[in-house]
Amino acid sequence: MTYVEYKQLNPFQKFAYNFKKFFKNLPGAVGRFFKTIGLAIVHFFVGIGKGFKNYGTTFVKGDWATKLSYIIFGFGDFHKGKYYKGILYFLVEVLYALFMIFFGGSQLALLPSLGYLKQYDYEDADGFTVTVLGHQSMQILLFATLTIVVTIVVFVVYISNIKDAYRHQVMRENGEKPTSLKTDAKEFLDGKYHITLLSFPILMISVFNILPLIFMILIAFTNYDGNAHNVLFDWVGLEKFGDLFNVLDSANKGKTFLGVAGWTLIWAVAATFSNYILGLIVALMINKKGIKLKSVFRTMFVITIAVPQFVSLLVMNQILAEEGALNLLLGTRINFLGGEPWVARLTVILVNCWVGIPYTILSMSGILMNIPEDLYESARIDGASPYKTFTKITLPYMIFVTTPQLITQFVGNINNFNVIFLLTNGSPTNPDYFSAGYTDILVTWLYNISMGGGKKDYGLASAIGILVFIICATLSLIIYNNSKSMKDEEAFS
Amino acid sequence: MKKILAMLLAGMVTVTAFAGCGGQDNQQQKGNEGGNSGDAVYSDASWADAAFGDEKDVTLKVWAPDAAVDLTKKQVEAFKEHYADSGVKFNIEVKPMEESEAATNIVTDKSIAADVFGFPSDQFNRLMSAKVLQKLGTKFANSVKAYNDENPVKAATFTVDDKEGLYAFPETADNGYYLVYDNTVVTHPETLEGILADCKAAGRTFIMDGGNGFYGCVYAFTGGAKIDGFESDGTTQKFTEYDETEVVNTLMAFAKLMKDYKGTYVHDAVAAISTGFTNKKVGAGIDGSWDTAANKKALGNKLGAAKLPTINVNGTDKQLVGLFGYKYIGVNVASKYPRSAMTLAYYLAGQECQEQRAKSNGWGPSNKEAAKAVADDPILVALFEQGAVSVPQVNIADTLWTPMGNLGAEMYKDSWDPANKDKTLELFNKVKANIRDEG
Amino acid sequence: MIKSYKFRRALANTIIYIILGVMCIIWVMPFVYLLLHSLRLDGAPVGNGEVLPRQFTFQNYIDLFTGQSSNAEVQAQSLNFPRWFLNTFVVAIFSCIISTLSVLMVSYTFSRLRFGARKTLMNIAMILGMFPGFMTMIAMYYLLKIMGLQGQMVSLVLCYSCGAGLGFQISKGFFDTIPRALDEAATIDGATRNQIFWKIILPMSKPIVVYTVLTAFIGPWTDFILAKIIMQDNYDNYTVAIGLQKMLANEYKTTYYQQFLAGSVVVAVPITLLFLKMQKYYVEGVTAGGVKG
Repeated sequence: MTYVEYKQLNPFQKFAYNFKKFFKNLPGAVGRFFKTIGLAIVHFFVGIGKGFKNYGTTFVKGDWATKLSYIIFGFGDFHKGKYYKGILYFLVEVLYALFMIFFGGSQLALLPSLGYLKQYDYEDADGFTVTVLGHQSMQILLFATLTIVVTIVVFVVYISNIKDAYRHQVMRENGEKPTSLKTDAKEFLDGKYHITLLSFPILMISVFNILPLIFMILIAFTNYDGNAHNVLFDWVGLEKFGDLFNVLDSANKGKTFLGVAGWTLIWAVAATFSNYILGLIVALMINKKGIKLKSVFRTMFVITIAVPQFVSLLVMNQILAEEGALNLLLGTRINFLGGEPWVARLTVILVNCWVGIPYTILSMSGILMNIPEDLYESARIDGASPYKTFTKITLPYMIFVTTPQLITQFVGNINNFNVIFLLTNGSPTNPDYFSAGYTDILVTWLYNISMGGGKKDYGLASAIGILVFIICATLSLIIYNNSKSMKDEEAFS
Repeated sequence: MKKILAMLLAGMVTVTAFAGCGGQDNQQQKGNEGGNSGDAVYSDASWADAAFGDEKDVTLKVWAPDAAVDLTKKQVEAFKEHYADSGVKFNIEVKPMEESEAATNIVTDKSIAADVFGFPSDQFNRLMSAKVLQKLGTKFANSVKAYNDENPVKAATFTVDDKEGLYAFPETADNGYYLVYDNTVVTHPETLEGILADCKAAGRTFIMDGGNGFYGCVYAFTGGAKIDGFESDGTTQKFTEYDETEVVNTLMAFAKLMKDYKGTYVHDAVAAISTGFTNKKVGAGIDGSWDTAANKKALGNKLGAAKLPTINVNGTDKQLVGLFGYKYIGVNVASKYPRSAMTLAYYLAGQECQEQRAKSNGWGPSNKEAAKAVADDPILVALFEQGAVSVPQVNIADTLWTPMGNLGAEMYKDSWDPANKDKTLELFNKVKANIRDEG
Repeated sequence: MIKSYKFRRALANTIIYIILGVMCIIWVMPFVYLLLHSLRLDGAPVGNGEVLPRQFTFQNYIDLFTGQSSNAEVQAQSLNFPRWFLNTFVVAIFSCIISTLSVLMVSYTFSRLRFGARKTLMNIAMILGMFPGFMTMIAMYYLLKIMGLQGQMVSLVLCYSCGAGLGFQISKGFFDTIPRALDEAATIDGATRNQIFWKIILPMSKPIVVYTVLTAFIGPWTDFILAKIIMQDNYDNYTVAIGLQKMLANEYKTTYYQQFLAGSVVVAVPITLLFLKMQKYYVEGVTAGGVKG
């Protein structure tokens, strides 16, 4: 279809066309995504192979100081007069050795078995029980993960130490002098500024996000249940993932997963689109020409954002209770939150509108004000009706600009813990589910079986977490890397 | 150098591993030899013999519910004074902690948790599976058995590794629900029919939170389908032997009352009971001992308390049966001073302290002597009477609550037909099938 | 024709006013309800069977700040609202500073600097935040414990600001809209990237700085799960969110429910005022960043 043909379609046909195009392109996008991932993996291994080759050749070509760097960090740098760097490298090695001797080594050795000493007790001569504490698998797993992460970091330092030693060797052979500390420092404020800026955030993220994440992923392969923080548990392989897809299982884990995942999807779609559409309508109403008190209206809605959710949602919970204000006003006794499943589900979606629409209004208002005025101007000169201006100018512009936001919100809603947890906490409970209710979404179910009041199963919770993550991450990576703003990144600036 | 380091490391690991195994074996043997205290009992229901061993400079942390913190502090002072000449320097800190939270915190990280802590019986499962409760030595266990009501002791007895043991000190025997009523409205608190008739006549309601499994289990229990701990797998809920017809008949009797007294017989949260007394909308309710203060405040001298009423099933009056819990004082296995902690827990759960708490906080003692001291409190007496006919709230599957709540909620629905035998049986069987805990 | 057009417009506007008015009432009503009930006199907790309180009092607020309770027979010792408020304020200030710096640093890097791993890092950063966080909390707790920070407020600051760098999208979007010509001109004048960041970009980024500060500041006031795991029985280091949750526990609910409502208002009011004051920047930030992000 040519551009001219496209222009002649009516809005519905256009929508149908775009809709079809989207789904026609979807397999391509997904394919590209997996191709990219595949390529990345291949690159990764090729890189490692190359690394090994370099590792060998450098050793062969290196002088004695460079060769000694293979065992003693920083020796090459030190020998070539780059003292501060050499000392730093050596310090890393010393610290790592101490770390492994006093902490890491023993943890790593216990990783395969996750500990074997069982807690036991006996009674002493005076009639007191003496308990001898055993190994704690959870701590072993965590600290072994920590050791592995530290080891990887030290390995990277080790490789860079060798590279550096060789670089300086080559520099000396060429008669160059190593750069001074002052020059290096200057470089970190300019050419290598990204390292300066990113190192602190990356350090924080590695310790408090990535490390716990690896730990959590590993837990999905164990039979760690929530009360076993202090006792032993074992590796169970893929059993927990099996549980999630085993619909016939008598504990109903598989059935619960399918049911909860289905509702999560419905919820995410409903919550995202209701917020988007209603928010857009309200934003348009507020921003309509001739409407006064714009800032007053906007302020009223903004209050919902400013009040912490655990307050605003608990108040909502009170108001919607069976004996709550709404029922008293209506003179009814409707159980909005714990009665009929569909009532509760509808209620959470509606309350989510109450929570979410203000955000949409805020971002939309800004964008609406940003629509170039000359577009409207020319439309008015052409004698276009307000309806026409809306469908021809406002709507396409909005949709174009806010698509990435829509995706972010969709992913956000899949993980929207607060609304469900504080409002219904999953109720009404579903007797056929494993520790979940009709309004529970995957994250709240995960919470129930890990930290909350239900039957605990950390392994299962981790498995759910991994699946949620895969869904969300794939979705966002595909959309982001195919979105216009990402492709035009350079063009804008 | 790296290689040497690695070899050294590997060697160390192996050595420690072997050392670990060896140590375990040795001590386990030692464990089997020791502990033959036989039938010995401490002669005092409050004080154990001073035997602190090599614990000289003792630091302990105690978790008590906020309402009992001040009293516990005084009791700790008394403890220090009593053992003043034992040569031990005690440094004991009392911190407030909600009883249900205590279990959560100690399970999360026992090493920084309190050495001695109070908890309700429904937390026993978690604490046992996390192995954080110190077993009582034989002499302690014997003394507890000798001085306390047998029900809470039985509920705290577990078999671990084929050895039976007592895992906490009973502290109260009042953690249950009872009938609370406005004595100007209800004159026949003995039967459910009488209560409902009185309430209806006065235009008041009778509140029971039957849609909540904790209270809703009364319907099944009264019919005889009581729970009785776990099956041998340790997770599947076991039921006592019961007569199915009897259960169905009882359920139908309840459903009939719900229908006949529509608008009077109300399923609602227990919090509505005390507010209802204040607004003069509620005549009676089944409420827990934890709401005693609110009910006393709402009713003043109009307060009436009794054990749960009876219900007439085909001509026989059957006593309503509910769940009944106890509170315990436990000792953390990770305590650095296990002897001091054990001795302190024995005292805090002993006769003297139970009496003090009964007087100041109205907690019903589990100690037999202490219980006599509060024989004039109508609410505690009602609770003790109810406790004798109740199912202990321990060893309960996590899956009990929802199906039991559904049972009450189904029968309460307008569409439910109280005369339909088959449907009642079907409902009951579905409920029972859902009470399973194979996770 | 003209008249009817005007009439139609007036009619349309009236309808819009009515709809907006009704919606505003729906949106604000719950907070009015909260405010009124926080001033309620009788001590009855939930479901007291009335929409509006009959008698009003300031006692709940006085109790909240003096640590007394006119309802309770025994004063709860673990509740200390003024202290919690102060704690939260301190934690919020510090984590706000660290978070804002992290976010700005990361987003500037991704917006302006070009280096090998940039795209990969951006993709990783984007998906890292999508893991449901609860499972990692127990790990964070033990990590903080080996650092000796268990129960310390420092650990809250760390937790709230550690992942801030991952939320760079919106402010990167904002930086992207600042013309690159500015940087280039400055580079020709001999400015380093460090100087460009601090002297040129940041001064132009008030909206996004305010936006980041606002979002980072609110975080500590609303978290009620992680803080509890870290603090356990260190009541002196509690934040308002876990403190207020505590008041809703069975043990306290009957006597402290009114104080919970009052506490909620006390927490909500300053944040709301701050928000209203900064609204303009917030909108500018989210718009500029959102369009590109």
